[in-house]
Amino acid sequence: MQRDWPDLLGGLALAALGIGAAGWAVAHYSLGSLRQMGPGFFPAALGFALFVLGLIVALPALRRTADAPKVEPASALAVLGAILVFGLGLYRLGLVGATLAAVLVASIPAPRKGWVWRLVLAGVITVLTVTVFSIGLRMTLPLWPRLS
Amino acid sequence: MTGWEGLLFGIGFVLQPAVLVYCLLGVVLGTFVGVLPGIGAMAAISLLLPVTFYITPEAALIMLAGVYYGAQYGGAVASILLRLPGTPQSAVTTLDGYPMARDGRAGVALFTAMASSFAGSVIGIVVLVMLAGWLSRAATAFGAADYAAMMILGLVAASTIGTTRPAKGFAMVTLGLLLGCVGTDVNSGAQRFTFGQTELLDGINLVALAMGLFGVAEVIANVRDPDRKGVAERIGLRQLMPRRDDLRRMGGPILRGGGLGSFFGALPGTGSTLSSFLSYSMERRIARQPERFGNGAVEGVAGPESANNAAAITAFAPTLTLGIPGDPIMALMLGALVIHGIQPGPMMLEARPEMFWGLVASFGIGNLLLLVLNLPLIGLWVAMLRIPFNYLYPAILVFLCLGVYSVRGLGFDIYAVALIGLAGYLLALAKFSPALLLLGFVLGPLIETNLRRALLISRGDPMVFLERPIAAGFVIATAVLLLLPLWRMLRNGKGRAGGTRQPGQR
Repeated sequence: MQRDWPDLLGGLALAALGIGAAGWAVAHYSLGSLRQMGPGFFPAALGFALFVLGLIVALPALRRTADAPKVEPASALAVLGAILVFGLGLYRLGLVGATLAAVLVASIPAPRKGWVWRLVLAGVITVLTVTVFSIGLRMTLPLWPRLS
Repeated sequence: MTGWEGLLFGIGFVLQPAVLVYCLLGVVLGTFVGVLPGIGAMAAISLLLPVTFYITPEAALIMLAGVYYGAQYGGAVASILLRLPGTPQSAVTTLDGYPMARDGRAGVALFTAMASSFAGSVIGIVVLVMLAGWLSRAATAFGAADYAAMMILGLVAASTIGTTRPAKGFAMVTLGLLLGCVGTDVNSGAQRFTFGQTELLDGINLVALAMGLFGVAEVIANVRDPDRKGVAERIGLRQLMPRRDDLRRMGGPILRGGGLGSFFGALPGTGSTLSSFLSYSMERRIARQPERFGNGAVEGVAGPESANNAAAITAFAPTLTLGIPGDPIMALMLGALVIHGIQPGPMMLEARPEMFWGLVASFGIGNLLLLVLNLPLIGLWVAMLRIPFNYLYPAILVFLCLGVYSVRGLGFDIYAVALIGLAGYLLALAKFSPALLLLGFVLGPLIETNLRRALLISRGDPMVFLERPIAAGFVIATAVLLLLPLWRMLRNGKGRAGGTRQPGQR
């Protein structure tokens, strides 16, 4: 048991986001009147509401304890990394290269040991991806790395 | 076209091979993701959204709906055999389904779940046919103020009913509404919160948002899950046969569950998870021997399974006739239709009969396919339960990236998925519901437009929401929902808000 960090930090982050959005909307978009609302009215009202709600979530959490959630930083990093690698690699490495790289990055935190299955898995998924998206759905994507 | 003529017309439409194949694909894929614990219908539907660009909007809707109710059949399999609910709707099925499996009656539990799901869907279809005609006639009397009030009721209901912490639900809905403001304002043309990014002019991409919040976040949370292989035993067809005594016990719960589910499914903001819990507690309350519940009572499987399937079907009534989704999955369906350039509303029954009646008929045909296919294929689904997640999630990630990319052909959307996925994972860790965020996101632009229109017509007088009888009804219902938890909190002493028993909503 520890302090209820998820509610405290989550609530504060939402409150900050809300007041930021409301401030931005007031500063940059016209509010208009109730009869003729401007583009800023709705976001400003929502931002303020989010600010209040964030505080309602966060403040009671100061006096409360809760179980710490199970965080998996390695899984999160590998999964998000794989997506970024795929996005960055799609044009430079081609579909084949990007898929191989993304699968290898994604499989780093998997509980099963060894690297042979990872290579085989990367190969199988690449074949599947090319078959489904490039051949089946006819998406126009570069397949191979650009040499120039 | 009256209801039954429409239904016949729809059956003819669905039986065309080009449509039937997507119905079949949807229900099989749905069962598959339902069986796999950790990947829910939300993630599966968002994964399939891009695929639907390649087919007609009717086939797309039929396929996505098939994934939704197919996942409920699959979810029951994992709940009964492993006590791991594959979907939130089937969580309650573990209470009596798993004890039945432990007593060696897994086959009977599976049969009960499937037969009840099918019966529930039939009840749901009948209610939907009656309700849709009535709703689309009633909808012509709806003005902008009524729409706005109804959608606000839906959001309030979704964030208060069945949750122990309404403030967190409201915060998520508000965040969703705020994210819905991003992009070009339809009324003034102003660019809001785009920060000079041309990719944001059309707003945040719904597919990227849904995949990030559900697909990526669920994958991260399940990567290190221990392997689940070798737990469930093989089940043959013969073990599925129920005793006469079991059959006799099923009838009542199925009818009551189906009625309950049909009612709550059509209400905005509640949906199928709540109705399966309500059905379970009702069956336990009226049972002659309530102590049998939790120890393998057939009624505890039949009622909830019937209720959640009926609710999944009637939930389409407000979505298609009013254009207002009642729960997050319906919001995703509505989003899919909007991507196809179709705005559901009161004219839907007349303007696109093949879509509406085709969908209704596909519920019947899809559920029949599920019943016929799943009883013999049960061994296959049990085998699926043994696939380690190791092999699945890298493929899910690659498909997810390509799916998002295929919507607009922009690398920007892939990076957006990574960012949204991180946010979604953090939200899930802190137990904020991403599903409510998505509901707010889809309803946001609709609420803003109707609110602005209503106030323009009333010349800025907010009393319009109390003067119009329909709007006033929704406003009163909203006020009751808001005051109820406050009242309960005051009565129970500070800080102990009561709530119905229910696991976290997705």
